Amino acid sequence: MEPSIFFDEVNERQGAFHRRTFLLGGFAGVGLLAMTGRLMELQLLQANRYQLLSASNQFNFRLRPPPRGRVLDRNGVEIASNRPDFRLLVLRDEVKDVDATLDALSQLIAIPDQRREQLKKEIANSPRSVPVQVANGLTWDEFARINVRTPELPGVTAEMGEARLYPYGGAFAHVIGYVSKINKAELDKEGPNPEPLLLHPGFRIGKQGVEKSLDLELRGRPGAQKVEVDARGRVIREDPAGDIKAIPGKDVQLTLDADIQNRALEVFGEESGGAVLMDIKTGDVLCLMSAPSFDVNRFATGIPGPEYAALAGYERKPLLDKALSGTYPPGSTFKTMVALAALEAGYDPNTVHVCNRSWFWGGRTWHCDDSHGAQNLHGAIVTSCDIYFYQCALSIGPDKIAETARKFGLGEIFDIGIPGQRKGLVPDRAYKKRNFPRDPVWHPGETPSMGIGQGYTNLNPLQLCVQVARIANGQKALLPRLIRSVGGVERPSGAAVPDLDVNKEHLAFVRKAMADVVLSGTAASTGDLRLGPVKMAGKTGTAQAFNYTNGRGAHGAVGDWKGRDHAWFIAFAPYDDPRYAISVLVEHGGFGAQAAAPRAREIMRVALLKDPEVRARIEQPLDSPDSYGGVAPAPPTPIGPEPPGAVT
Amino acid sequence: MTASALTRPGERERLSVKLLEIDWRLGLLLCIIAGLGAMMLYSIANSSWEPWADRHLMRFGVCFVVMLILALVDLRVWFLSAYPVYVIGFLLLIAVELVGHNALGATRWLKFGPVTIQPSEIMKIGVVLALARFYHGISAKDARLSWKLLIPAGLIMAPVVLVAHQPDLGTAVLIVLTGAGVMFMAGLSWRVLVIGAIGAVAAVPAAVLFVLHDYQVKRLTTFLDPEKDPSGDGYHILQSKIALGSGGLLGKGYGLGSQSQLNFLPEKHTDFIFATFAEEFGFVGCLGLLLLYAGVIVIALRIASISHSHFGRLSAAGVTCTFALYVLINAAMVMGLAPVVGVPMPLLSYGGTVMVTVMVGFGLVMAVRVHRYSEISSGRGALF
Repeated sequence: MEPSIFFDEVNERQGAFHRRTFLLGGFAGVGLLAMTGRLMELQLLQANRYQLLSASNQFNFRLRPPPRGRVLDRNGVEIASNRPDFRLLVLRDEVKDVDATLDALSQLIAIPDQRREQLKKEIANSPRSVPVQVANGLTWDEFARINVRTPELPGVTAEMGEARLYPYGGAFAHVIGYVSKINKAELDKEGPNPEPLLLHPGFRIGKQGVEKSLDLELRGRPGAQKVEVDARGRVIREDPAGDIKAIPGKDVQLTLDADIQNRALEVFGEESGGAVLMDIKTGDVLCLMSAPSFDVNRFATGIPGPEYAALAGYERKPLLDKALSGTYPPGSTFKTMVALAALEAGYDPNTVHVCNRSWFWGGRTWHCDDSHGAQNLHGAIVTSCDIYFYQCALSIGPDKIAETARKFGLGEIFDIGIPGQRKGLVPDRAYKKRNFPRDPVWHPGETPSMGIGQGYTNLNPLQLCVQVARIANGQKALLPRLIRSVGGVERPSGAAVPDLDVNKEHLAFVRKAMADVVLSGTAASTGDLRLGPVKMAGKTGTAQAFNYTNGRGAHGAVGDWKGRDHAWFIAFAPYDDPRYAISVLVEHGGFGAQAAAPRAREIMRVALLKDPEVRARIEQPLDSPDSYGGVAPAPPTPIGPEPPGAVT
Repeated sequence: MTASALTRPGERERLSVKLLEIDWRLGLLLCIIAGLGAMMLYSIANSSWEPWADRHLMRFGVCFVVMLILALVDLRVWFLSAYPVYVIGFLLLIAVELVGHNALGATRWLKFGPVTIQPSEIMKIGVVLALARFYHGISAKDARLSWKLLIPAGLIMAPVVLVAHQPDLGTAVLIVLTGAGVMFMAGLSWRVLVIGAIGAVAAVPAAVLFVLHDYQVKRLTTFLDPEKDPSGDGYHILQSKIALGSGGLLGKGYGLGSQSQLNFLPEKHTDFIFATFAEEFGFVGCLGLLLLYAGVIVIALRIASISHSHFGRLSAAGVTCTFALYVLINAAMVMGLAPVVGVPMPLLSYGGTVMVTVMVGFGLVMAVRVHRYSEISSGRGALF
């Protein structure tokens, strides 16, 4: 290359370079200005928006489920409360590898394979930001172990919450019901945007009984805990000043008495049935028990399938509330209603019918348990003579009986705050017409059955208890009350009701007859309270479980359980100054006097002994030195087979 | 006494004079930026020198000394080593292709016992040197438009293809743009520039369909619509914007950036350190930082323009170009204006590789300044 060209070139190249340098500097400047502009946009114009986003990154409000309201008995004894529960939660959003996380967790706590598969499904289907509960009821050791490891396990938290506790297990199972995880159907009912509380894994919804009917009152309002979290959702700091306090659910006080309730469950043993005890002055239900029962705590923590299947498949139906949702023919207890209906209709109580075990009428033979001879109405109640009541019922007809029975609450559903009651049936001519289009006429042959509480008549133990309570009260059309107060606010008393539209003398007549049932009648040996001067008045019932007209078959507690009669006993005490009314049903228990009356007696004894006025009366004889010994308070007497001979 | 006043032969070769000739304003700016980086790393590590801040400062110290030593290397030595460096770098790239160390789904590294090197970084300097060396030997007319330009185009594209195949899209883009910058500075015809720009834009869809990996395409689509999946792929960009935006005018205060302190911001100590800085120091702080970078660029361009040799001019300008691209691409990425391509903020971000590359580059720039009066004959040792 020649030098001359070289130097020219140098100058030209240098000139071009200088021009281009300015341009390059200009480009860089424009680029930096563009960056500045973008910074202004983000940091000055949109700063508020991003500051908000940053804060919502940084702070998290963790929903705190409120403590659920307690359920108390009438003396303030807790029958549903809360216990601390350590649980382990997993948040789908933050778990990188579900399998690896579950592997790590199963080294810390036991996760059965079956549960593991279920969990994987649950986690996969869980909504964003709603944690899934992997385990609950952890011990402190497990809780601590997991808490130590959570920094390495993104999306895993171990926290302390509350779980429902039913201290009495089964005694109140059907009344209180239980709480459990909310299910899809319940959630769908809440609409498209359910309250976040409902989705919280610690939240439980009432499924049965009082827990269900008063769920909203018991639920309370959730609080929130303000926490500073890092990108993995791990809590860095808590900010107690920013917390929103949870408002606990309201306490619910029931009219039930835990002692009476527990004794009722106890005396039923393996038997099936129901018992209801009411205060006849206030209408308060002191006992509302169904047997056999089950441990509701198993439901609150999530009952395993096989265990549930065993409960559901057991022929004595522990899951059914027999006091409210089971209906049974009332048998001879219904004779109190027939007698009252007859008296109200002008029937002469001195009318005498003769019983010699069988009675031929309407082309067939009607039976009785015994040959009672010639009796009037009072005698027929005391001996529970079927043949007398066949004829008594025929003389007034079904409509009058039904009208009276309804006045006493039979066939009625009482709003005591428990869902799922069944009203049963008190039949009359209109019912027959309505429900039997092919045979709409009430045949005379159907009346005798109704007269002894069989046929279409089907009732539940609560109704029978209300019936006795009204008879014993003698004035008011008393209503049962189960929920005494909610959040300290008293519910209206069951005595704030109109008078019963029945002649008081007629009620007194029936009460006298019922007293004699226990003194000298069908329940003479089994209905004695053994509380000195305090006596019970009652009426036995032995109801054929199947069609009465098909002949007698096995009577009493013999043969196949399912074929046995239902045993009833309805009573009030003290007989001379009534305070409490009781109805006891022993499903397929055999004779009312043998299976039901002693149980009613034992339950009644607890109620009477807990009543200070009645107790004072019982204890009075102690003042006289002569009467030491055979007087109350006597220890509870065991329930055993009573000597046969007592009949309904 | 200024350096230009020295006229005696050999005077400029004296070490003390050379040291005075080093541009200490530029050195000071680099120190300030690296110092800010260490300060941010200390804050991100929850007020701790470990694990980043101390190593960042140590690396910078070593690199700064290396830069000073390189500044004293005669520009003619640089000139003579230009092609050898390029060739060695290229051979190493091929070696990566054959026996490279695979990490994080990319093959970028070569292991020599305990030392791991990343040949693509050598090529960032190598391409600048080779191009400057090449343009030094051709006329302005040829540099404008001639068949000879196929050679620099080849010099650029050969390593780019290998780097893109590793795959390292960020570095490939950086090398292409730096090379284009040097060609531009050398006086490339505007017509070629416009056609090249149009061609590059037109090539994007084809690249998306045939060349890019799935994850790279995903990064691009995420960039276009980051809010589509805010906790998935759009997470980086969204969290970075939240960090920036929430800084506001004055920032949340040193050590108080919740986005980075609480780990919402990924890569907070490397690629996204600018967002951390912005969160804690706000708009005012960012403006200051960008001015520091602008200062470095202006001074380096000034050094380029006063050099007496074309090789000096172009190599200094090329390094400046690389540096400016680092800053702009990283800033644009952090602000959600460019896809996430893994280009760090030079000297601010934690990371040894980029530190070495940038400081070696500035060693070259300093050498250009120290030897700005050196004349380099195009004939001696020239291939073209």
